[in-house]
Amino acid sequence: MNPAPTSASLLSIRRLSKRFGALRALDAIDAEFSGGEIHAILGENGAGKSTLMHVLAGLLRPDSGECRIDDQAIRLGSARAARSAGIGMVHQHFALVDALTVAENLALSLTPDADWRFDAVAVGEKACAFAAQVGLEIAPPSAIVRDLPVGARQRLEILKALAGAGRVLILDEPTAVLTPPEVRLLFAMLQQVRAQGRLVLFITHKLREVKEVADRVSIMRHGRVVGTYRAAEVSESQLAELMVGKLEVSPHIRRPPHAGATVAMQARELSMRDHRGVVALDNVSVTVRRGEILGIAGVDGNGQRELFAVLAGLATPESGQIEVGGKSLSALAPRVLRQVGVGYIPPDRHREGLVLAMSVAENLLLHRNVLRRFQRHGLLQRPAARRWAAALMQQFRIKAASLDAPLRSLSGGNQQRVIVARELSQPLAVLVTSNPTRGLDLAATRAVADALRAAAADGCAIVLISTDLDEVFDLSDSIRVLYRGRLSDAVKPPVDAERLGLLMAGIQAGKEPCNA
Amino acid sequence: MQRLINRVLPSLLALIGALVVSGLAIALSGSSPLLAFEALLDGAFGSLDGLSEVAVKSCPLLLTGLAVAVSFQAGIWNIGAEGQLLMGALAIAVIGSRATWLPQPIGLPLALGASATFGALWAGIAAQLKLRRQVNEVISTIMLNFIALGLLSYLVQGPLMEAGGRYPQSDALSPEFLMPRLSPYRIHLGLLLALFLAAAMQVFLYRSVAGYEIRATGLSPEAARLAGIDVRRRLLLALLLSGALAGLAGGIEVSAITRRLYERLSPGWGFTAIAVGLLGRLSPVGVVAAAFLFGAMDAGSNAMQRVAGVSSVLVSIIQATVIFFLVAFERRTWFSKISAEPD
Ligand SMILES: Nc1ncnc2c1ncn2[C@@H]1O[C@H](COP(=O)(O)OP(=O)(O)OP(=O)(O)O)[C@@H](O)[C@H]1O
Ligand SMILES: [Mg+2]
Repeated sequence: MNPAPTSASLLSIRRLSKRFGALRALDAIDAEFSGGEIHAILGENGAGKSTLMHVLAGLLRPDSGECRIDDQAIRLGSARAARSAGIGMVHQHFALVDALTVAENLALSLTPDADWRFDAVAVGEKACAFAAQVGLEIAPPSAIVRDLPVGARQRLEILKALAGAGRVLILDEPTAVLTPPEVRLLFAMLQQVRAQGRLVLFITHKLREVKEVADRVSIMRHGRVVGTYRAAEVSESQLAELMVGKLEVSPHIRRPPHAGATVAMQARELSMRDHRGVVALDNVSVTVRRGEILGIAGVDGNGQRELFAVLAGLATPESGQIEVGGKSLSALAPRVLRQVGVGYIPPDRHREGLVLAMSVAENLLLHRNVLRRFQRHGLLQRPAARRWAAALMQQFRIKAASLDAPLRSLSGGNQQRVIVARELSQPLAVLVTSNPTRGLDLAATRAVADALRAAAADGCAIVLISTDLDEVFDLSDSIRVLYRGRLSDAVKPPVDAERLGLLMAGIQAGKEPCNA
Repeated sequence: MQRLINRVLPSLLALIGALVVSGLAIALSGSSPLLAFEALLDGAFGSLDGLSEVAVKSCPLLLTGLAVAVSFQAGIWNIGAEGQLLMGALAIAVIGSRATWLPQPIGLPLALGASATFGALWAGIAAQLKLRRQVNEVISTIMLNFIALGLLSYLVQGPLMEAGGRYPQSDALSPEFLMPRLSPYRIHLGLLLALFLAAAMQVFLYRSVAGYEIRATGLSPEAARLAGIDVRRRLLLALLLSGALAGLAGGIEVSAITRRLYERLSPGWGFTAIAVGLLGRLSPVGVVAAAFLFGAMDAGSNAMQRVAGVSSVLVSIIQATVIFFLVAFERRTWFSKISAEPD
């Protein structure tokens, strides 16, 4: 064993800069990180957090500056160099190969470069053993990644990075789609990693998590690190202020809808199996009334994806029916549902929400009703459509180089804002959302929450499928829990977290745990 | 400006790369690459006749290139432009040698319409197979190429064989169905029609709602579907349009150039079209440029063979190498969808 170097710094960054066109995404950043610490990175959407991490992981070549690990300069702009220097990364957006199996994906980071053999079975076994060792539950090694729920993909990403990481583990918003028990598990793992003298860089928008797990926290703003603090010495509200300046607390008093309000959407006795033949929805009935926000909590993978898909008309249930505004629909397709005023914020923004190769403006138009509105003689009324898109961009503070910037170039949170802006721009009878604030910064999360409340106040019925308990608590008029495809009875807030936690683990008050 | 450069650069690099490689090949075979290229250029652009031939060779490539572009933009890999072209040729040959009572101003447009319809129907088979039976369109369109070729070969040796019965070819079209040419050259009115259609496709794809929906469907079918776009109808529309354009290419070729039907009617335009479409980055404007480039190479190749002694087949090598280089220079190609997106 080598003695630890006296300068405690494990990773140091010197005057790192990266520009995209006129935008300084990283503006001469200096930073020191030591081994054996969990270092949180906070910052608004578009502050440059992901860009910095991509540079560290060798995925982006900076314009200038240097990075040292243990006082050794690492070659920048090479993912391989970063990896052999011991940097592993979990991306904000999944970097898994969708068409491959779980085992094959893990093999990509578990198999040493020099090894030309590929033995998926052996890798699968190794992966399972490794997963068991760190206590992370993963999908069966032979499952195809494409078919996994978002939470399971996230766990797989974390496992992959853990396996590959030597000295530095980078996590870009890993908790955005995890539920509290999963987050706790992740934190326990991170503490283990820290105990081994490694460095964890951890990006999040959730201040509570910073307080809970981080030793130090750096705050980024407009491509600079504007301050580094001991997590124990700053309060959550101080952090919030450091990040975005003073936040006004909007007093959101909203009268819950009265029980007699008309039913906006009703789904009856939905049942469906996933493609493996496992029951994903088991006789689920959902009713939302005008002006009501119905929270559907639960650990991801318990039927959330299928419930969203069925309510969106993307998947056909084996049985059951859906009515909107008291009328049954001619066909269960997004087209028809959109027509009667149902809006959607989908769980996977890259797959179902956006067209990455199109521009910001074109993505704001990606909605049947919007297209209809700007159509004349089959042609798109471009000037009018662009004016409208520009107004939305301003209203929702979407940070992008221009209306014509490819959506791909926006930061994760700004991409989410595009979806939210588009969906809320239309008159809504019903809004079905899945983790609507995923990846949004503090200010934007509040803005979306306020927008949802405002929509509800205008009579929109909202189905809020979310793994974020805070969000569910904060917004819902009543809460139901999805567990193994079954929906619990509604509980009215205030609910104690304990009770909800039990429901999410499948334990009903006074009943035995329902084993499948 | 920057964006224009970004869009054109890969195609330009691919072209230069292909010229370098084929230049080396010529040098290795003991001829002078400079002389060969000079002859190629001179053959294509050195005379009015050459220019006219460039136009003649470009026309079918332009239309089939558009066919490829519109279907690829929708995310449908229509490899069947060749078969659709042959069906279009068949349609005009049947009508053009029989329906002689029609006056030209009515007969010719009608016959060309029939060509487009036949092409669309032929593509429609693949569309139905895809939408109803989830049959991969790459496989079905390739198979339909073979069927079209087989059918054509049977017909010109049997039912449609010319009255004299000497060669496996159909009767000549009656004059009412011939595309007007600018004599004494072979350049014909069909080229104007093709250019007009290219402009129309440009407007359709980038200015119309249906075009937007087709592009969104091709780039991200799930997102398009959730947006409420009728993805199946858009796929059908794109494939039918594609077939119609290819069919029209066949119709124009028969009515303007060959004037009758025979087996080796097309030297593989429907396949070269894929190269033209990709080189033109699937945009109609780009396809026009790519089609003229390939057309010029075809037109100049004979002169090159005559003057420099380099086989005219070399032109096919250049065209194929262009595709290799395009794929190599393209970071996000249609062939490798990268799943990790930097955000
Ligand atoms: N490839 C790119 N081309 C152009 N601009 C880019 C590109 N990648 C990032 N940017 C811009 O750089 C800025 C920083 O982006 P980055 O993704 O680092 O933000 P972030 O701090 O991770 O935000 P978020 O919390 O929303 O994920 C953004 O304004 C973004 O639009
Ligand atoms: Mg980010």
